[in-house]
Amino acid sequence: MSVTKTRADAGATMVCWSCRTATDGGHFCAACGKIQPLPRDADYFAFFGLPRKLRVDLDELEQRFHQLSWKLHPDNFVRAGEDERNLSLERSSELNDAFRTLRDPIARVEYLLARAGVRKEGAAKQQAPPELLEEVFELNESLDELRQARESGAHLGALRERLGAAQKNFQEKLDEVDAELETIFGEWDRAMDASADGAAQGALMVRMNEILNRRSYVRNLVANVQKELAEA
Amino acid sequence: MGRVVGIDLGTTFSLIAYLDAQTGRPRCIPGPYGETLCPSVVSVDADGSIIVGEPARRRLLTQPERTIYSVKRLMGRGVADVQDELKLFPFRIDAESGNVIRVRLGEKRFTPPEISAFILRELKSWAEEFFKEAVDRAVITVPAYFNDAQRQATKDAGRLAGLEVLRLVNEPTAAALAYGLHQQQRGRVAVYDFGGGTFDISILKLISTTEGDIYQVLSTNGDTHLGGDDIDNALLALARGEIRKQSGADLGQQSEALQELRKALIRAKHELSGVEKTTVRFALPSGSSYVREIKRAELDELIRPILARTMAPVKMAMADAKLKPPEMDEVVLVGGSTRIPLVRQTVGEYFGRAPHCELNPDEVVALGAAVQADILETGVKNMLLLDVTPLSLGIETMGGVVAKIIPRNSTIPASASELFTTGVEKQTGIDLHVLQGERELAKDCRSLARFQLKVPPGPAGLARVEVKFLIDANGILQVAARDLRTSEERSIEVQPSYGLNDAEVERMLEESIEYAEQDFAERQLIEANNEAETMLRATEKTLREQPDALLPSEERRTINTAVTNLRAAREGTDYKQVRARVDELNQATMHLAELVMNSAMHTALEGKRLEDV
Repeated sequence: MSVTKTRADAGATMVCWSCRTATDGGHFCAACGKIQPLPRDADYFAFFGLPRKLRVDLDELEQRFHQLSWKLHPDNFVRAGEDERNLSLERSSELNDAFRTLRDPIARVEYLLARAGVRKEGAAKQQAPPELLEEVFELNESLDELRQARESGAHLGALRERLGAAQKNFQEKLDEVDAELETIFGEWDRAMDASADGAAQGALMVRMNEILNRRSYVRNLVANVQKELAEA
Repeated sequence: MGRVVGIDLGTTFSLIAYLDAQTGRPRCIPGPYGETLCPSVVSVDADGSIIVGEPARRRLLTQPERTIYSVKRLMGRGVADVQDELKLFPFRIDAESGNVIRVRLGEKRFTPPEISAFILRELKSWAEEFFKEAVDRAVITVPAYFNDAQRQATKDAGRLAGLEVLRLVNEPTAAALAYGLHQQQRGRVAVYDFGGGTFDISILKLISTTEGDIYQVLSTNGDTHLGGDDIDNALLALARGEIRKQSGADLGQQSEALQELRKALIRAKHELSGVEKTTVRFALPSGSSYVREIKRAELDELIRPILARTMAPVKMAMADAKLKPPEMDEVVLVGGSTRIPLVRQTVGEYFGRAPHCELNPDEVVALGAAVQADILETGVKNMLLLDVTPLSLGIETMGGVVAKIIPRNSTIPASASELFTTGVEKQTGIDLHVLQGERELAKDCRSLARFQLKVPPGPAGLARVEVKFLIDANGILQVAARDLRTSEERSIEVQPSYGLNDAEVERMLEESIEYAEQDFAERQLIEANNEAETMLRATEKTLREQPDALLPSEERRTINTAVTNLRAAREGTDYKQVRARVDELNQATMHLAELVMNSAMHTALEGKRLEDV
C-alpha cells in the first residue's frame, strides 16, 4: 500500500491545466488534447455521454467502455509526467467504477437515487412490507422449527419440503419485484424523454426507492432460506 | 535510458525476455549456461558474495544452510503466516522478525524482497550481457491471486535490483497475451496456471475493436501457496516414511541428504510425465540404499488431492464470470506442473475441450511480460490489457465486520470513496483498518494497513473527511484523504501491516546500490582480465612461432611494450585501464595478425582475427 496526493483540484471555472483554455469537463482538452481532471460533480452517466435513463443497451455501454479504455488507461501514460499519470489513474478508475455500476440494473438505479439524495447507502429499510407480513411470519416460524429439529436431530423431511416451497414462493415474489422495477424504469425513461419536471421525477424516485427496499428485503429472505436449507 | 524487459519471477524458476523488434515476437534471453530458466535459488558464500541460479542450486546439496529456494512463498507475509510452510521447507527464519520475515543465510539475514532482488539482478545481468547495454526498466509478473502486500513486496524487490517496475502483470494474463499474439485467438479463454508454488485461474474475453485487441479479464481466482512444490513434498513424505521403516533412520535433521532425496524424487516426477514407471535410487547416509519403483498411477494418486484444490478456484472463477464450461472457446495451460498428464486430462475433462499447450509452459509468462513491456515502452498501439483485482477490498466497521468497498474482480484501476466523521466531541483522529479478502469478519481477512485520519477537534459529527481508496493498474492500493469542509488534502501515515515501509526500502536501496556498483566494477574487472589473459597467451604464442625474419624488429618492440603495459594494468583493479591496454595490444598486433592469416600457419590464431580471440 502506498500513499499519494490526489487530484489536481478542478476550480470553479474549469480551464485546461496545460493550455488554460476553457473546458467542458470532458476527458480531454479540446484545444491541446491533454487529459483533464474529473469535475467535482462528476456523474457516471455523463462520463459515458449517456442520458440519465435506466434502460441501458449493454452492448453499446460495453462498446463505449472499450473505446474510453483505449484512451484513458494508464498504459497510455507510462511515459507522461506524474500529473498526467495521476489524471489517467483518476479517469480510468472512474471509468471502471462507472462501468461496473451502470452495467448492473440494480446498482444503476441505486446510484441514480443515491446521487439525487433519495436513497442512503446501506440504510435500506429492513421492515417487512405489509402485504408480506403474514407469509414472512410463517416463514420465520418454519425456520425456527428447522433449527430446533436440526439441533435435536429430528427428521427434517417434511420441514425441508415446506421451506423449499416457501423459498420458491419468495423467489417468485422477487421475480415480481424485478418485473415491477423494469416497468418503472420504462416510466422513468419516458419522463426523461418528456423533460418531466422535478416534482414528477421526485415522485418516481420515491416509488423506485420503495420497490428497492422491498426487493432487498425479499432477496435477504431467499438468501436466508437457501443458507438454512444448505446447512440442514 | 536503457532497455526494457519482461521478467517472470517464479517460485522454482525465473526467466527474462524481450521483444525482438525485427520479428515482432518475444524471446527469452539465455544465461551463461545457455539455459533460459534461472533456478530461483540464492546462496550466500562465506566471503559474503551472492550466488544465484544454477551454481546456487548445486549448493543446495553442499551448503544448504547458506542457500534458499522457493523464497516467493515468503513474499509479503509475516512469521505467523508461514508456520505451515516452515514444516515443509527448510527456511531458517528469525523468530523475532514479526511482520517482515528475515531469513538467515550463513551469517547474514535478508528479507524476502532482498533475496528476490538478487534473482532479479542476476537476470538483469543476463540481459545486459545479451544486449551489451544497460537494462533499467521491467515488467514483472505476479500470481493473479497475490494480495496487496505480496505485490508491494515484488515491486520492492524490483526497486532493490535497480529496476524501475513499469508494471506488475498477472501471470495468467501475461500468458494469454503471449498466446493471443501467437495464435490470433478470439473469444472466451480460460488460463489454468499451475506453477512451482502458486496456482491461478483467469477467465478472459478477447475482443477485437477498431483500435485493436482488448484482453479483458472477467474473473480470477487461485491459491498463492499451491504448486508443484506440494507434489514434491507429498513424494518426499512418502519416501521418508518408507526409509524410516526400512532402515529406522530419519532424514529429518540431515538436510544435505534430504535435499539429495528431494532432487531424485523431482527427477522421477518429471520422468513420469513421459513414461509409465521409473525407479528412484538413493544412497542413504548409513551406506545402504533406498531403491523404489514408482508407477505413474501411484503418483497420480498423490496428485489427485492437490489437483482437487485447484478445481475449487476454477469453479469459483467461472461462477464469477457467469460462464459455464461449454461456453469457453479456448483453454490454455501454463506452468511446469501442467506437463503432468493427469493435470491435462482433468482440466480437459472439466472444460470439455483439449487444452492448448503449444507454447513452452515455462516460458510463456515471461514472453507475455515482454510483450507488455514493449507496449508500455512504445505506447499502446494495438493491444490493451484490462485486468482485475483478485480480492475484495474492505474497511473494518463496528463489531469487527468488514464493509466491502471494492468487490473482487473489479477492473483495475478501481476506486471507492468513503465519508468519515467523528463520533465523540473533541475527537482528533479517526482510526481506519483496511483489509483484503472475502470473509465477513476482519479477523478472517488479510490486514493491509491501519492508519489514523487526523481531524481538527470539534463537536461530534462536524468533521467530514473523504477517503479515496484506489487500486492502481498494478493491483496495489493507494489511499488519499480530503477534508470536505476545507477541501484540504490530508496527509496519511500508513504503516503497512506486512511488508517494508518506505524508510526501510530506502535504506536497503542505498545498500543495494553500493552492492550494485561494487558488483558491476568487479564483474567488469573479471571480464577484462579474462580478455587480457586470452590476448596475452595468444600473442606470446604467435610471437614464439613466428619467424623473426617476417616481423620487423621495431614492430616486435611495440608489441612487447604493449604486452608489458597490459601485464602492469592487470596488477591493478581498474577495469578501464585493463580495457585500454587490451585495445593498445590489439592495435599493436594488427599487422601480426594479418601476417598470420596470410601465411596460413598453424597457430593458435588460426581462422580468427586476433581481436576475435
